[in-house]
Amino acid sequence: MLFCTQKKCVFFQNVNTLQHIQANLKAGQTTLTNIVEQYLVRIEETQDLNVYVEVFAAEARQRAAELDRKLAETPNQIGRLFGVVLSIKDVLCYKGHKVTAASKILEGFESLYTATAVERLLAEDAIIIGRTNCDQFAMGSTNENSVYGPTLNAADPTKVPGGSSGGSAVSVQADTCLLSLGSDTGGSVRQPAAFCGLVGLKPTYGRISRYGLLAYASSFDQIGIFGKSVEDVALLLEIMAGEDKMDSTSSRKAVEAYAIHTDYTKKAKIAYFDTAINHTSIDPDIRQQTLAFIDRLKADGHRVEAVDFPYLDYIIPAYYVLTTAEASSNLSRYDGIRYGYRHPEAGTLQETYEKSRSEGFSKEVKRRIMLGTFVLSAGYYDAYYAKAQKVRRLIQDKTKEILSEYDFILMPTSPSPAFDLGEKTKDPVAMYLADIYTVQANMTGIPAINLPLGTHKSGLPIGIQLMANMFEEADLLAFSKYIEQLNRQQV
Amino acid sequence: MLRHSAYFTALIETKIFRRTFTFYSFHVPKSVNFALRLIYSLLHFARLMKYETVIGLEVHVQLNTKSKAFCGDAAAYGAAPNTHISAISMAHPGTLPRVNERAIEYAVRLGLALGCDITRDTRFDRKNYFYADSPKGFQTTQDSHPICVGGKLDIEVGGEQKTIRLHHIHLEEDAGKSIHDINPKHSLIDLNRAGVPLLEIVTEPDLRSGEEAYVFITELRKLVRYLDISDGNMQEGSIRCDCNISIRPKGETKLGTRCEIKNVNSMRNAKRAIEYEAKRQIKVIEKGGTIDQETRSFDAQVGHTNNVLRSKENAHDYRYFPEPDLSPVLLTDEYIDTVQKNMPKLPNEIKQELQLVYGLSDYDANVLLEDKDMVFFYKEITQHTKNYKAAANWLTNVIKSYLNENNLSIDQFALSPKTIANLIGMVDDNKLSNAAASQKVFPELVKQPDTSPLELAGQLNLLQDSDAGSIEALVDRIIAKFPDKVKAYRNGKKGLLGMFMGEVMKASGGKVNPKVANQLLREKLDNKT
Repeated sequence: MLFCTQKKCVFFQNVNTLQHIQANLKAGQTTLTNIVEQYLVRIEETQDLNVYVEVFAAEARQRAAELDRKLAETPNQIGRLFGVVLSIKDVLCYKGHKVTAASKILEGFESLYTATAVERLLAEDAIIIGRTNCDQFAMGSTNENSVYGPTLNAADPTKVPGGSSGGSAVSVQADTCLLSLGSDTGGSVRQPAAFCGLVGLKPTYGRISRYGLLAYASSFDQIGIFGKSVEDVALLLEIMAGEDKMDSTSSRKAVEAYAIHTDYTKKAKIAYFDTAINHTSIDPDIRQQTLAFIDRLKADGHRVEAVDFPYLDYIIPAYYVLTTAEASSNLSRYDGIRYGYRHPEAGTLQETYEKSRSEGFSKEVKRRIMLGTFVLSAGYYDAYYAKAQKVRRLIQDKTKEILSEYDFILMPTSPSPAFDLGEKTKDPVAMYLADIYTVQANMTGIPAINLPLGTHKSGLPIGIQLMANMFEEADLLAFSKYIEQLNRQQV
Repeated sequence: MLRHSAYFTALIETKIFRRTFTFYSFHVPKSVNFALRLIYSLLHFARLMKYETVIGLEVHVQLNTKSKAFCGDAAAYGAAPNTHISAISMAHPGTLPRVNERAIEYAVRLGLALGCDITRDTRFDRKNYFYADSPKGFQTTQDSHPICVGGKLDIEVGGEQKTIRLHHIHLEEDAGKSIHDINPKHSLIDLNRAGVPLLEIVTEPDLRSGEEAYVFITELRKLVRYLDISDGNMQEGSIRCDCNISIRPKGETKLGTRCEIKNVNSMRNAKRAIEYEAKRQIKVIEKGGTIDQETRSFDAQVGHTNNVLRSKENAHDYRYFPEPDLSPVLLTDEYIDTVQKNMPKLPNEIKQELQLVYGLSDYDANVLLEDKDMVFFYKEITQHTKNYKAAANWLTNVIKSYLNENNLSIDQFALSPKTIANLIGMVDDNKLSNAAASQKVFPELVKQPDTSPLELAGQLNLLQDSDAGSIEALVDRIIAKFPDKVKAYRNGKKGLLGMFMGEVMKASGGKVNPKVANQLLREKLDNKT
């Protein structure tokens, strides 16, 4: 019998990969029911962190019991994710469950269908334990822009967990589940993973279907995965990835066996940008630890070289022009007519729009809708939207050029460790600028991963980011696993 | 006289013209009054004739695909409100569009039929606007890379051929329906139509009159029906159009400021709206005013166009941008060839067939071609009879006038092609006279379509006797009855044959075959000489 009464749970520290959990389940050392109970206890214990918007306790228990029976009765029919208990960000649709994007505008809204990615996990016997807090409509880098209030960082509750998938990150960080799904439009999985000391993957654009993911910026959004081990993240990707008829932007490319193919024996060619490592906004300790990491890789026989990337300072402005433009249109459907929040005193159509949207959306969401509306307006389109698209194209071309010569691009994930609560809320531009290292992968569509690098001198976790060429997840994950081992040796 | 007309041109400018004119007429002799009226009309005509109307059309054709443009919901017309809707049609969070391949095929079909260039990587864009029947808050349409570019449609107006160039054709989705007149307090929304595929055919400003616009839409409607991509039903809103109208002095090459009349729902209304709008613009210009670029609507009840939106002050800024949720659709040469190969026959090809294979006249062929379903009906009749000419006559005369009188279309016609073929066969076999078939049997038959024509003709006592034996007996009886007339006939009064025929028909109750009777009469009367 395993007990889990302390904040740091022995069970979860020892058995923190799916492989272990599955071995224990099959050996009869524990049951899924037992595991779910442990997690529910953890959720109870960590309530102050404000991780979950809703816990599906009864449902998780019932499903666990069913799956325990399935293991007993038809052990050869259990799914590949048998033993996985996961949380999902409050932007993913799950039939019969509420989904609100942490916004008042979707107050009480229940989804009629399940997101393709979630559907595929359920089909492999995963259990969904709840939906997690996030920045409203995935807009934010701190998880403070939520109608449910901020989620707190489990490493230090005076700090933010990062965003926008902050709740998902902390749900794994605080051991309330094994894995979590977030969404990454400009770093919303990788940055909170860095702030919380987790593996956080943003796959190639189109690798995972977006059907059932509430859109922020359609040409940037991708479902991402949080976990404590590269292997688990790889398995989840393998199961969710692949063509979906419901998403015409999903790729038809065959899905590789990411979870098995994880030995990296080659010597890698890795590029990094001087402009990034020496950027004015970078924290000195992060800079120092990143350089030390580069030296370690070199010492291990990899070629790590500085390359020229002249567009770093154009990335953020172009990104915010394009994403807000798409968001202004994507969020038009929340109009108070067919579902969600409708202002009780709205009489006319115009009033319904104005009052419902003014009250339903947070300040940050409204800021981005207005910004996006502006950059698409007649007379400003060419100066902003069209120009930002050209910048995107330049960044794509340059990135492609670099990745034709190098296997990976290496960068810090965030220029600083987790912010203080409230630190960035007054100054949205400062918050936007903190995305400087993560948005390149979304601008270009390439896969990128955050890996825990170590501890900042403040005691907070910091991460390192690796990017690979389009659809090179197999290589990226194999190399990530190698780094994971390298770091373990170091410790 | 000159002084008078000058006075008149001044009066034309004022609204009190009519009253003044009447007042004036008290003081002038009738002939002068008439002359003045004539002069006024001529001046008015001359004023109109000074200008040329320039028209460009945007015709929206609803496609008859089974499902909607960007999701699997049924696209059929006429279902109970909000029954053809899913999470996607309702723009629920997280839903995404996917392109209906059939809609693409239909667009390519029309593009090929109109000689357009087919865009090899056609893309979609978003047109952003808020309205209660626009669930996503934007319309998925095509702006920068429409599926068909260029092309033309030839029309014939007043016996003259004219080519109307097309600017492009793009694929887009329809909006839902807002219903404002059922509930006094609330507007009701029906989203069944939301997402139904439309093709928008945008012409160059090549049209010059309401009549030309009428013919253009008629021809286009005919074409889409032949291509089997739309049912072209105006009542159900399958074809709607926006008319862009400007005027300019004849000889001027620069275009005038245009007004757009939105959502005109019939060919006839397009013609009326254009004619009204052109006159309105001429009036404004003649008064020394200028035309404001604006959007207007057409009130079909009174026949006027009314301003709805002044563009400079309150222009819609649709903020078009590329639809990020749909990948560009890539069309290969092979694909386009396949569409070309599977094209239904176009009216011109069918006309040739009607003339060469079925031997129809140019006139008959044209009448049938007006309606694709008419042609199909015709061809079905000819499966059951070889009398092609009679089949055409039945359709273009009897059936067509019946349909017109009852305001029906051929697909609502109760009788089957086989029944019509039966009627033709009965006439051909002399069982029924042509007149009895069309004037007596047919009107009854449409009332009881399940009865066989033969049975019905029997009930109506219209079946002709063609049995030479029984007719001969009758003929003999009549000849015996009028010995004087027989003598007169044999003495050369051949005109009496008509009288004998009349008597035979009367005696038989009109049921004997007139040909047979006529022949027998002649034989008997002539032989005895």
